[in-house]
Amino acid sequence: MKIPLSWLKEFVDVPVEAARLGEDLTLVGLALEGIERHGADAVLDLDVTTNRVDCMNVHGVAREASVIYALPLRSLDLTFAEAGTPARQALEVEIEAPDLCPRFCARVLDVRLGPSPAWLRDRLELVGVRPINNVVDVTNYVMMEMGQPSHAFDLARIPGGKLVARWAREGERLTTLDGAERVLTSRHGVVASPEGALALAGVMGGAASEVSEATRTVALEAAYWDPLSIRRGAKALGMHTEASHRFERGADPEGTAAATARIAHLLGRIGAGTARPGLIDRLAAPPALRQIALRPSRTDAVLGTTVPRDRARAILTGLGFRPGAESGEATSFTVPSWRGDVSREIDLVEEVGRHHGLGNIPPTVPPARGAEGLRPRQVRERRLRDLLVGAGLTEVVTHAFVSDALAAGSPPRVAVENPLSEEQGVLRSSLVVPGLLSTLRTNLRQGRRDVAVFETGRVFSPREGAPGEEPRLGLLLAGELGAGHWSARGRVVDFFDVKALVELVAERLGPGAFTLATDGLPALLHPGKAARVADGGTLSGWLGALHPDVLRAWDLRGEVYVAELPLDPFLEAPSAPPRYRPLAKAPAVLRDLSVVCDRSLTVAALEARVRSAAGEHLRSLRVVDLYEGPPVPAGRVGVTLALAFQDPERTLTGEEVQGALDRVVGDLRAAGAEIRGE
Amino acid sequence: MAGEGDTLRDRVRAIRAEFETALVAAGDVSTLQAVHDRFLGRKSGAVGELMKSLGRLPPEERREAGQELNALRDELESRHEAARGEAEDRLRAERLREQRVDVTLPGRLPARGRRHPLTSTREDLEDIFVSMGYEVYDGPEVDDDYHCFEALNMPPDHPARDMQATFYLKDPPGLVLRTHTSPAQVRYMLSNPHPPHVRIICPGKVFRRDDDLTHSPMFHQVEALVVGPGISVGDLKGTVQAFLHALFGPQYPVRFRPSYFPYTEPSIEVDLGCIVCSGRGCRVCKGTGWLEIMGSGMVHPAVFEAVNRRLGRVAYDPEQVTGFAFGLGIDRVAMMRHGIGDIRLFYANDLRLLEQFPS
Repeated sequence: MKIPLSWLKEFVDVPVEAARLGEDLTLVGLALEGIERHGADAVLDLDVTTNRVDCMNVHGVAREASVIYALPLRSLDLTFAEAGTPARQALEVEIEAPDLCPRFCARVLDVRLGPSPAWLRDRLELVGVRPINNVVDVTNYVMMEMGQPSHAFDLARIPGGKLVARWAREGERLTTLDGAERVLTSRHGVVASPEGALALAGVMGGAASEVSEATRTVALEAAYWDPLSIRRGAKALGMHTEASHRFERGADPEGTAAATARIAHLLGRIGAGTARPGLIDRLAAPPALRQIALRPSRTDAVLGTTVPRDRARAILTGLGFRPGAESGEATSFTVPSWRGDVSREIDLVEEVGRHHGLGNIPPTVPPARGAEGLRPRQVRERRLRDLLVGAGLTEVVTHAFVSDALAAGSPPRVAVENPLSEEQGVLRSSLVVPGLLSTLRTNLRQGRRDVAVFETGRVFSPREGAPGEEPRLGLLLAGELGAGHWSARGRVVDFFDVKALVELVAERLGPGAFTLATDGLPALLHPGKAARVADGGTLSGWLGALHPDVLRAWDLRGEVYVAELPLDPFLEAPSAPPRYRPLAKAPAVLRDLSVVCDRSLTVAALEARVRSAAGEHLRSLRVVDLYEGPPVPAGRVGVTLALAFQDPERTLTGEEVQGALDRVVGDLRAAGAEIRGE
Repeated sequence: MAGEGDTLRDRVRAIRAEFETALVAAGDVSTLQAVHDRFLGRKSGAVGELMKSLGRLPPEERREAGQELNALRDELESRHEAARGEAEDRLRAERLREQRVDVTLPGRLPARGRRHPLTSTREDLEDIFVSMGYEVYDGPEVDDDYHCFEALNMPPDHPARDMQATFYLKDPPGLVLRTHTSPAQVRYMLSNPHPPHVRIICPGKVFRRDDDLTHSPMFHQVEALVVGPGISVGDLKGTVQAFLHALFGPQYPVRFRPSYFPYTEPSIEVDLGCIVCSGRGCRVCKGTGWLEIMGSGMVHPAVFEAVNRRLGRVAYDPEQVTGFAFGLGIDRVAMMRHGIGDIRLFYANDLRLLEQFPS
């Protein structure tokens, strides 16, 4: 809202210069956005919050200034001379829809159309309104001055000389002043003649009844329109005007009559017109004046300071609230018609607080209560991040909105009704696709080759009622690990890197051990280099290389390893303290075993056989070497196992160890394996 | 046999001189050993040879000459010992020199990842509030109209809904992506185990239909809610001040000015003295010297009433309890802390940016 200082000074003798005034207004809630200098004049640009429609005009801001500086507020000059036949002989007004239009004021004025005088044009330009002609300019001037929008019709172009405030008929057409033909519904309010709509109520006039050079007499409308009706109607047509902006936030019902008088006064003053005798005032629903009781004890309790009663009273009366009956400590105040935003005691407390000064309230802190802390779940989420960051992964945050096309292949998605673009049409159902893959592509385009990232965040899935929200952990590895140091060469990532990360997190935070299955994998994974978590208790999810088709579709080169797991099992796993295992009294006996077996025999299966054949003294078993290629025949693989035998109580005899080894060798041979170097 | 005596003395003198010359010429331990063998060797050392000739001396001279030769041997031994020590020191020093590494080469760190700057900022904010006795609470990102607007004194068609351009879900209708984390506050009050006492912060993702340098359709907020008997604007001011001082440092002034939010009354905007220009006025604060940092206010009684209606009992009697709430953008705080001018950089996930934040 632009407020020229010279205009403001017509109503209050502001004792400070513009910058100081701007600061003082800011501290009562009218935030200064900037000051423009125009010669000797300054224009304050104020950010008026939506509830303060009463300050979307010069006089309203002047009222605030008058309270700040405890100075009198001058009222508007509403005097004017009348001439001619009574207005009601030329114009009839009817309110057909009282729910739309509680009050309709009108006057008839004989006008001499022409340009406005320079001072008036200048003022309008200062507040950002384009001058048109003296009649339209004066209506705009009055809107900017005291907040009431009004509209001048060419009386000769009102068929039947009658204005009706009513709801539009379904499909009724109206060409508005901007030249657009509007098709209306019964949810749009109109000002109509008996023959049809003339103006879009509270939003914009119509072309057919527009004031023109040929206009000799105007019918001036200043009505109070129901805020919700105007808001819905304007919104449905995608329209927003200075008038609708004010009406939909609640104009001053008493401003209607005053505005017609002020317009008559100004037209008379610039010699542009004379009012015919009489105000036509249709009041369908007289607004109830609200009375609100204010308790000083309540004011002090909410604000946390003591405001002297006289001070509170002076602030409120200065703002137009009329003190009335007292009951106990409470004083009843009548809310002025222009303060539709004030409806209960707390609103009066705010008024007192604003002008008493928030800066004058001493800062305190609420009394201490029991200490809170992060919940175990929140602590574990931080530990998860520490683990992954410590393991070399960088955290990313990708958008929850994704393109339906890019998310293809993943589960059903939740669609957004009004997305910013097609590319952000659905909520993500996976962190990896497309979020982490997009992250990889972004960085590859920057010339990065080695990318190791993770994200924690929620994914969405359609569900009865509200969509499901599941927190997930997503990982992505591409390129080399450990590259870029002078001492060593990097190593290209493989399945076992991503597996190790999942194992690390599961061991440190999660439900512990899990096994992997290779069936039932998501289509985006390489069927031979991926797995899903199985037998992991609450843990599930998948990990592995991206399918070559996916790599091609995303235009990625080299292998990319990803994993996506539900987060909750890591955050909620009960942390049972580990049980102590007695330390062995005798050293372990170590033996290596080299086996050549079919590739189809997994290491897990091999281990199971060895464990079962070796018996109770096999303490641990590790794969220490894996070899394929000559001299190992095609289709077979050489595996070296390191076995440790131990008894917690005594030293094992050579016979015991050899016996166990013999059983293992026998079993493996029976399974078709060949033992090397035995 | 006086000649013999002179000869012995001459020989001693000659041996000493030769030894000195050889010792000086010998640079390393093995050459020194050769010098030792030559002069002091048991078998054919020069001093030993001379000792053997003692027998030829008359007994009265033999004693004196023997002492002289012993003294010579001791002297040469000790000279040699010292020289060998020095040579060994040199050798050791040289070896150590050879073993030196270039300490200016980069250290070998384990792989190093980073937290996202939005996460570190959020955790810092959480830590400050936790230290002030707050609980950290979050709700769903997709919420319904009731929790996001209606319970917060924003009935349908409320003009304030325009302030928060909302994303709606296609199906089912009535669901929105939360435009602020306030619905989590409503949820907390509804499920509060110890009403009317509340002291929480709600950090989380929020969504609004905006996309420019300072607005992202997805961003992060943290909101605080304190409810109880006797909570006042003064408490709001003290708490906000303590929080901002903990976050940015006590050197920045904090300003409170009236504003408007439907769910608070009075509503208060909080400004922080510009951390770029320290209040002198710059491009970042648009010359005002102040940065808008958060919205706040006293919980509107209508919010308590809505919660009570939903609960079917008066858990928060607006006559008995008051509360304050405030909310700020985590992204905005991170932008201010790190001097980032474009919010969208947080979601571009360019490692060149992320790797600038050690954490």
